[in-house]
Amino acid sequence: MIRFLSRSTRETEEFAAAFAEKLRPGDVIACRGGMGAGKTAFARGLARGLGLTDEVSSPTFALVHEYTHGNISLYHFDMYRVSGFDELYSTGFFDYLEQDGVLYIEWSENIEGALPAGAITLTLERVDDDTRQLTIEGERF
Amino acid sequence: MKILAIDTSSQSASCAVTEEGKLLGEFFTNVKLTHSQTILPMVENLLEQIRVALPEIGLFAVTDGPGSFTGLRIGLSAVKGMAHALGKGCVGVSTLEALAWNLSGMDAAVCPVLDARCSQVYTALFRSGGDFPERLADDEAVSLSALEERLKKFGERVFLVGDGAEMCYNMFKDRVANLTLPSPALRFPRASSAALAAGRAYLRGDVLPPASLAPAYLRLPQAERERLAKLTKEGSSI
Repeated sequence: MIRFLSRSTRETEEFAAAFAEKLRPGDVIACRGGMGAGKTAFARGLARGLGLTDEVSSPTFALVHEYTHGNISLYHFDMYRVSGFDELYSTGFFDYLEQDGVLYIEWSENIEGALPAGAITLTLERVDDDTRQLTIEGERF
Repeated sequence: MKILAIDTSSQSASCAVTEEGKLLGEFFTNVKLTHSQTILPMVENLLEQIRVALPEIGLFAVTDGPGSFTGLRIGLSAVKGMAHALGKGCVGVSTLEALAWNLSGMDAAVCPVLDARCSQVYTALFRSGGDFPERLADDEAVSLSALEERLKKFGERVFLVGDGAEMCYNMFKDRVANLTLPSPALRFPRASSAALAAGRAYLRGDVLPPASLAPAYLRLPQAERERLAKLTKEGSSI
């Protein structure tokens, strides 16, 4: 388990960028954390750490954003509005699992039953306005 | 009449051209590449190698499901585009039926299995042996345990094909007698099989205008959808 106390959005990004170096193609990061917890900031850091030059933003409307300009692609999902298998299927989620990229899933709570066995869990908890407790759990961490 | 068929319904991709039941050429790949980037160059390459010009194609065929959400839409869009431009008809072939055609002529029961994830499979049952596979069960999405029960009840020797065949064979072989895993050369969806199935559909008159082609979507059994929903509720309440 990795725990990190972030004092700012910038620290969350820096931590994510450093963590990205430990990732391998095919890794799935199941993210949990409410509104304003820093989920998208973490995604921005991940993309930078993976050497991607794409602009990162929350895929609230598109459900998935692809960042492919680099060595390992990052697929950024927002499952906030996904509530069942049929909807999950029609995001192409299962097809992305077959690709050699990293999947980063916001609101992974909503697809708990469909996460692959080896998924890495990232929890972002609000401590106060600026501070967040980040916890990463997985077989390799 | 020449038939051009393509399959991008799962990780493998292929295209083939047949003429009156004769396979003129086929291109098959099974690598993790994006079908949207590879399937049309494959078609172009194949046509060039067999010296057939696209306007010579009289009928377009595509596996229309079940299968990968993205993959099915890539295959259908490619075929719709070509058929529309040339004013030709289309045939949508069940991916599971196309798989059964792989063993056409062999005296065997064939159970195609596609991995639908979350312990679910898309499956059907056919008897091959004659000129074409005879359908014994409709295309359906069922749980792995339901498929195991079905195969136990069926009792006969069954050939498993499809991208879920190896998984099912390994899971069931100690508990279900008479399961057979054919060679990898026969195990995956093949555009050649889809083209042969389309040839028969054409004789039956089952030809659609390109705009009417649509992916076949099999809904999961109700119980399994609820299972995911229940887990979702537990997850949200934390």
